[in-house]
Amino acid sequence: MIRRTPRWLAAVLVPLLLVTACSSANSVNRPHNKAGGGSGGYKYKIAVVTHGGTGDSFWSIVKAGTQQAGKDMGDSVTYQSDGDPTKQSGLIDAAVNQKPDGLVVSMANPEALKAAVKRAVDAGIPVITINAGEAQSKSYGALTHIGSDETVAGQAVGTELKNQGVKNVICVVQEAGNVSLEQRCAGVKDKLGGTVTNLQVDNNNLPAAQSLILAKLQQDKSIDGVVTLGAQVATKAEAAIAGAGSSAKLATFDLNADVAKAVVDGKMLFAVDQQPFLQGYLAVVMLTQYKANLNVLGGGQPVLTGPTLITKDNAAAVLKLSAGGTR
Amino acid sequence: MTATAARADERIADVGVLRRLLVKPEFGALIGAVVIFVFFSIQSDVFRSPAGVANWLDGASTVGLMAVPVAMLMIGGHFDLSAGVQIGTAGLATGIMTTYWGLNVYASLVASLLLMLAIGFVNGYLVTRTGLPSFIITLGMFLGLQGINLGVTKQVTNTVQVSNLDLVPGYHLLKNILGSTVSVAGKPFQIAILWWVLFTALGSWALLKTRFGNWIFATGGDPNASKNVGVPTNRTTIALFMLTSAMAWFVGNTQIVRFGTIQAQVGIGQELIFIVAAVIGGCLLTGGYGSAIGASVGALIFGMTQQGIVYANWNSDWFKLFVGAMLLLAVLANQFVRRFAEQSRR
Amino acid sequence: MSDIEITEASEVSPGADDVPLLEIRDVTKMFGSVISLSDISTTVRAGQVTCVLGDNGAGKSTFIKILSGVYQPDRGDVLMDGEPVRFSSPREALDAGVATVFQDLAVVPLMAVWRNFFLGSEPTKGWGPFRRFDAETAKKITRAEMADMGIDIRDLDQPVGTLSGGERQSVAIARAVHFGARLLILDEPTSALGVKQAGTVLKYIVQARDKGLGVIFITHNPHHAYPVGDRFLLLKRGKSLGDFAKSEISLAELTRLMAGGAELEQLAHELEREGDKSETSALGRELLDDTKTLG
Repeated sequence: MIRRTPRWLAAVLVPLLLVTACSSANSVNRPHNKAGGGSGGYKYKIAVVTHGGTGDSFWSIVKAGTQQAGKDMGDSVTYQSDGDPTKQSGLIDAAVNQKPDGLVVSMANPEALKAAVKRAVDAGIPVITINAGEAQSKSYGALTHIGSDETVAGQAVGTELKNQGVKNVICVVQEAGNVSLEQRCAGVKDKLGGTVTNLQVDNNNLPAAQSLILAKLQQDKSIDGVVTLGAQVATKAEAAIAGAGSSAKLATFDLNADVAKAVVDGKMLFAVDQQPFLQGYLAVVMLTQYKANLNVLGGGQPVLTGPTLITKDNAAAVLKLSAGGTR
Repeated sequence: MTATAARADERIADVGVLRRLLVKPEFGALIGAVVIFVFFSIQSDVFRSPAGVANWLDGASTVGLMAVPVAMLMIGGHFDLSAGVQIGTAGLATGIMTTYWGLNVYASLVASLLLMLAIGFVNGYLVTRTGLPSFIITLGMFLGLQGINLGVTKQVTNTVQVSNLDLVPGYHLLKNILGSTVSVAGKPFQIAILWWVLFTALGSWALLKTRFGNWIFATGGDPNASKNVGVPTNRTTIALFMLTSAMAWFVGNTQIVRFGTIQAQVGIGQELIFIVAAVIGGCLLTGGYGSAIGASVGALIFGMTQQGIVYANWNSDWFKLFVGAMLLLAVLANQFVRRFAEQSRR
Repeated sequence: MSDIEITEASEVSPGADDVPLLEIRDVTKMFGSVISLSDISTTVRAGQVTCVLGDNGAGKSTFIKILSGVYQPDRGDVLMDGEPVRFSSPREALDAGVATVFQDLAVVPLMAVWRNFFLGSEPTKGWGPFRRFDAETAKKITRAEMADMGIDIRDLDQPVGTLSGGERQSVAIARAVHFGARLLILDEPTSALGVKQAGTVLKYIVQARDKGLGVIFITHNPHHAYPVGDRFLLLKRGKSLGDFAKSEISLAELTRLMAGGAELEQLAHELEREGDKSETSALGRELLDDTKTLG
């Protein structure tokens, strides 16, 4: 009891203290062992500016990738993000002013970032674009683009669902106005050959998202497939399918531990992963190698990190890694 | 004296049953709820089936549970923009303490309740102490907690969510209390709906039948006058903020217990939905007027519309438009009804 | 106002050794180097009305705030029943039986009459967590107390905001009376009201007086003060222009003192000399006529 007292205190002060860990016998989650220090020693300054939302699991993995690469390469990596293109553009300018040795940018809205990216290129800073903005990457003067084609990924899902005999799909969109999410749904529609209906939900209110999916399944009994575009919504869709007593098959874009577990348990057909960790990791590594050695991979052709399908066969292995925030 | 009283009673009768109903703040919302129920019932059979009702009641209960204390706070003259994000804070705190620090689940619940009460106290204390609008103070709290939720979660878990609460000892009892379902007409109804009804009744009782309730109306209606007659307005305000945080604790823990997992971004943006529900339910933005039942009816309207659009097979992209239109309609209707009622009294 | 009959206070004829309810002796209040009140003295007896008259900035509100416990005097004494008292908070003043009805009336417009009546002192019934506001008792008492003041409230559930100004005053006064006030301080109760409404409020003041309360009636209108007052304290720029019993001063004299007396005469003459036949001269003549008739 006496031993517990300080833990009690710490418990009350959770948000005040960034307590790293005090693992104990009955913890079911173990703090991930953060990877060891860098062995290399390039000591470049790499700036990463993305459009990712701060609470988004996908972008937290991208960030983890850039930071791991920084450690492995011995670079110092800074990571900034803002979903608003104007602010992101400002962040790029600020990064360029620091005269980094390399710049990594995600371009969800390429037109808005054009001027800022060009300023970076003109300042002689090598730029690599990641995740979004493949079409404009080259013309803006970036070395290369690392990402996954949303339409291609959507088509992969559509093909796989078609193989499973699915005909009537709802595509659950958790962020209004996100172009790449719409592209995913469109890609699914391309290859499915059946009906695809989009359903808008709010990523910040997942219980409501679950009820909405449930409502849709109750309303239309012919729905035999659900595609979610994010890992957090996927687990709610799983519960909704169970709640509606529906036999709809579930597939999702993106991955986290819960999704991997559901795939292992057979509650989810498969997950499409675009390997966000690689997008962050490779971008930093490639910039480092360009700076040190003028290497460019594939002659500047876009490097695709996905889609990879996580199915029952490989989910268990991936599950172990996802707890560490790298998958 | 008796003669006077008798005469006065006669005049009360003049006011009329309808008009007495009309001046109830929740009256407009009740009518609205009936209209919306009938409307969507015509659009879809599933909407009015037990399964459908169970579903939209579930959606309404998550909003409604928070709308009750948010309405009470609004009646007391304040906003809490951090009400939504606090749901996340509460759930994350419990989750981290149990699944990462190995603390007993009940001890974690108590600890996270203390934490939430402390947050509510800080909100209330700063508002009463500085005299700044609660809008600004709680906006600061909203942004701050958003950062803390994400920062602490990532620091501890390396991801943006806390999972596996369902593996913690003692989970199953909690699940029964907070996250189980009750079978009605053969369909599973979330137990949260019962909690929602209970808390609405409690909130309404406190507002209308207790001293504290009288002080809430007074503090929101005219803080200076209240202070002059000895109402502890500062204590009332702080208590209201703590009440809101305590409910965020309840809702946040309901979420993590029900799903076994909670995300760092949970609740962000929901604070406005709670305020919308309270306003649809007849709360005045300027304080001093409103009802707990009204706020719950507002949440019901919100839940019915949200799910109803799906049941009616409409494009869900337009959902927010309906919410916006409904908010405006509710405010206009409330204003009209109140004017009519007050004029009729003269 | 003419249609309201104001009765003279029943002659209590207090003896010389009779101790007044409240006595103020040479009270001075300063804010920094500004003297807000300087050597003010007066008395209030039970069952009598003491009027405090003065223009804006005369120190009336400082005077009220000292008596109601908001401020403490820098010099001088406040005595209740002959005993020196010092109120360090409004609560202490209330506990000693000094109730102040401020200009804002301390009523909450959106709340029902009976809720306002008991605001801050709600009667409760029940026990522990089931303790609740005893609405039936509250309504019953409110109706009785209001009727006692001669006010017939149509609907106790009516928000106070929908009452007329005079009725609102009556709620505040009836409340103070009910909660055991011995000394009632009314801050400009008639200033925002029309003639008829003001007359009604004066009637309430008389009612309170007849119940045996001491009343301090703050006003800048001698026509309101004179019919109900037993004693008149005149304030100007924080100083006392005199503290008169009703027998020592006429309405005309009171008005002249209030209007500034000699100063006003001077002003009237100046205006007449300068303006000749212009409008200002007419104003000047009017002023002069006024002061002459009052003189």
